[in-house]
Amino acid sequence: MAFFFRTKAKSDIVKPTKDLLNRLWQVPKLQKTEEEAAKMLGQMKVLLVGNQEVEAASPEQILNLVNTMIQEDFLYVLAHSLHLLPFEGRKDSQTIFCTILRFRPPGSTAEISPALAYVIDERPEVIIELCRGYNHSESVMPCGVVLREIVKNEDVAQIILCDESQENEAAIRINMIDENKPASGNGVFWDFFPCIDKAAFEVSADAFSTFREIITKHKSIVPKYLSVNFELFFERYHSQLIASNSYVTKRQSIKLLGEILLDRANYAVMTAYVDRGKHLKICMNLLRHDRKMVQYESFHVFKVFVANPNKSDEVVRILTQNRDRLLKFLPTFLDDRTEDDQFNDEKAFIIRQIELLPAGA
Amino acid sequence: MDQSAMASQYQVLEELGSGSFGVVYKAVEIATGELVAIKHIDLESSEDDIQDIQQEISVLSTCASPFVTQYKTSFLRGYKLWIVMEYLGGGSCLDLLKPGPFEEKHIAIICRELLMGLDYLHQEGKIHRDIKAANVLLAHSGGVKLADFGVAAQLTNIKSQRNTFVGTPFWMAPEVIQQAGYDFKADIWSLGITAMEMVNGEPPNASTHPMKVLFLIPKAPAPRLEGSNYSKDFKDFIAACLVKDPDRRPTAKELLQHRYIKTAGRVDSLQELIQRRQMWDGSRGRSANPKFYEETMNTMSALGDQEDWLFDTVKAPTMVMPKQTQSHTQRRRKEPKIHDEIQHSPETLLSRLTLNETEQTSPPPSTVRRATMKRSSSGFGTTPSPAKRRFSGQKQPLAPSTNFGNAGSTVRQFRRVSDNSPEMSPNASIAEGDENRPPKVETVTKEALLGRRAYSKAIDPALQEIYAQTGNPIKREAISRVALAWDSLDKDDPDGEYHLLKLIIAKVQSDPKLAALLPPSQPPTPQKPKLVLAQNNPHLKSHRRRQSSLLPTEDMWTDKPLQLPGELIPGLEHTKQLADVLYSKWAEGLKNRWPNV
Repeated sequence: MAFFFRTKAKSDIVKPTKDLLNRLWQVPKLQKTEEEAAKMLGQMKVLLVGNQEVEAASPEQILNLVNTMIQEDFLYVLAHSLHLLPFEGRKDSQTIFCTILRFRPPGSTAEISPALAYVIDERPEVIIELCRGYNHSESVMPCGVVLREIVKNEDVAQIILCDESQENEAAIRINMIDENKPASGNGVFWDFFPCIDKAAFEVSADAFSTFREIITKHKSIVPKYLSVNFELFFERYHSQLIASNSYVTKRQSIKLLGEILLDRANYAVMTAYVDRGKHLKICMNLLRHDRKMVQYESFHVFKVFVANPNKSDEVVRILTQNRDRLLKFLPTFLDDRTEDDQFNDEKAFIIRQIELLPAGA
Repeated sequence: MDQSAMASQYQVLEELGSGSFGVVYKAVEIATGELVAIKHIDLESSEDDIQDIQQEISVLSTCASPFVTQYKTSFLRGYKLWIVMEYLGGGSCLDLLKPGPFEEKHIAIICRELLMGLDYLHQEGKIHRDIKAANVLLAHSGGVKLADFGVAAQLTNIKSQRNTFVGTPFWMAPEVIQQAGYDFKADIWSLGITAMEMVNGEPPNASTHPMKVLFLIPKAPAPRLEGSNYSKDFKDFIAACLVKDPDRRPTAKELLQHRYIKTAGRVDSLQELIQRRQMWDGSRGRSANPKFYEETMNTMSALGDQEDWLFDTVKAPTMVMPKQTQSHTQRRRKEPKIHDEIQHSPETLLSRLTLNETEQTSPPPSTVRRATMKRSSSGFGTTPSPAKRRFSGQKQPLAPSTNFGNAGSTVRQFRRVSDNSPEMSPNASIAEGDENRPPKVETVTKEALLGRRAYSKAIDPALQEIYAQTGNPIKREAISRVALAWDSLDKDDPDGEYHLLKLIIAKVQSDPKLAALLPPSQPPTPQKPKLVLAQNNPHLKSHRRRQSSLLPTEDMWTDKPLQLPGELIPGLEHTKQLADVLYSKWAEGLKNRWPNV
């Protein structure tokens, strides 16, 4: 009997599950459909990863399953309907996504899994749908986890950065991307800004982690993207993230800004950034924010302005004008951080640099 | 969604204890009347990456099991994160151990429930990593739940392993200490230690210094329960949990089949433990002396009262530098920096302000909220607890405190030692002295101060102005009624006043037609730096409205070449090279600070 069961194709599960997912959109949504869909996804998960009693399916069977999923356009339907599923169904979907997108048949020499290759080349809408998962509080966690898993891939990050499709439109194709073309600011990437600024804590925090992955992990595309979209990016970064009312968003985004600027790959972005007087002003005001950790993180941005050997006239003028004020302010700035040697060294260095400036007008 | 508004959905009551990071309060969800436990995490005082805290939330929020404390929601209130969880009235096992060790029959029930919880977690790919009596909570009904996921781990792959060194020393499995990679089995070891803790009142080696314990556990033979006082089954169960080789240690599922567990009774009988504790409290004449929740957002920003940066937006000549600047600067620098009459760091201003604000109520500094972390049993008077706990004060950093819940004893991976004492809030626990005092305590919040300020600086003058300009007596009457109403709002609820104002402004901004009334938000560079008001001060808006036409265009830099050739300042040429070297060396050092960049 057990033998008999094993011979049944594992991939038979895909089509009925897809049909159930599609039925979730019917109004009114039936609880029975929900439960059945969740049950099927649970079975699919066990097939893929096994559990304490059952071993996972063999690699050949999984490959078969992947191929059926591709034929049936299953991943898109799953991403699209994720938020309609009940709690366990959403968690299982996350596992299914992660496993499928990571799965490579034994002996495969391809750099990425067949499923991810398919998504990138043929069905980028899956990626965009996952990003839209941030629109529903239910689907934030699973979509966030899957996204962070796949944005490690440069093409996926590129698609998210450049896509400007609206709902129900075809997403941008990877081979059509013109990296010199400025973004309109309406694409799915730009939706991260208001989401991080305004959404409930859990949503905002998850979106920020994904945003951060996209921005920090791809040294060959992001610096270019930031240069092409310099004004737009930093205008939104300042007005929506750094000026956010959320303490966490503010603190995290200042910290991330420091990381962006100090990344060697972003050298051109950094020099352009620290040339602007208005950026220095924002930063200097943050040094005086009423929360110490905000002050601390802004110091790590401020130091880049001061340490820059090729300061712009405007930056020099602001620093010179405030030279005396800074020299009064900095010695007592966060002076309770007595144990933080690196900070104190850097502070001493910064103070010295400012002392070396000509006296203020 | 306004995050701060979410906090007003709860009425926060007394303190329950402190968890691995943050204080836990009992609270009522106003809409439903349901009791909840809310953990307040002070993000400002924790240098831990905020991402670690998110980790805890993401583990919690993906759990749905009757054996795990149910997570409800979380939101930010200022720099505090509130995590709302189900309330469990029975208290923690550590708390219930205070009257004395448990009986075997109770331990069997608790262990069975814990094994079901662990089985659930392990199936989900989660490792709790900090199982101990302090992290086991009981419902009034006797239901047993796992709590405190402060250091829990989520594995992405069912077979993957962890290397992180977390947990609490006495309960740590040998393989965790050796950092040779561990998995779910680590929780089973800790469960065995917890069982011993419940029968002895303390974990094995409790009198040893925690650091020494870390060497002891991997080296010494696994602890065993000895003596004829205990049943064979119980001894055997402990021996099964405490197998040093994780591969030979059974899983939670296997242990559920153990005889000791199979014969355990119903959870109802755990109510006896809760009653025992209540009687114990009663017999000791310990009056309920709860610590009530108080806002500690009383750190008023000095913004606006402080000499601000000088940013003029004059475009014209850049840097006219007198030739003799260099020597001048040198001399300047040597001047002592003591005569800082006008300008102080935000901190000094801040602390001074806080002190003034709360002078009348300030109790001795020893009752500062944060001190509760270390107050082992001060709440119950100075009598040592009868349970044979022998932790000396010196062991504080790692020794478990006898607090409810779990004191700051759990080792977390990233905790850097932060020397800056946490937000000292002098009015933190006024309720201490007077237990009859209602939980509502006068608070001086940042919002309240801003609210008052907005009233005196903007609303009141504006109302008077309008009143003076209005001729029609009926209209005048209406305005004066508004003024009166606002006055009483200002007297009774400046905090609400602030939120009201903030909301009004936000609502105006969000309506496209109304938003035209307000000037586009400017970067914080008002033309006259002296006139810096709180950003949300409506006075500032009107001020800007009047001035907005005069503002010069900000952006004059777009046409500038991005990279200037090294600018040569007369007399400073020699520093450039030095700066270059230092800069690159130092940028390298910064990379170490963020190795993942």
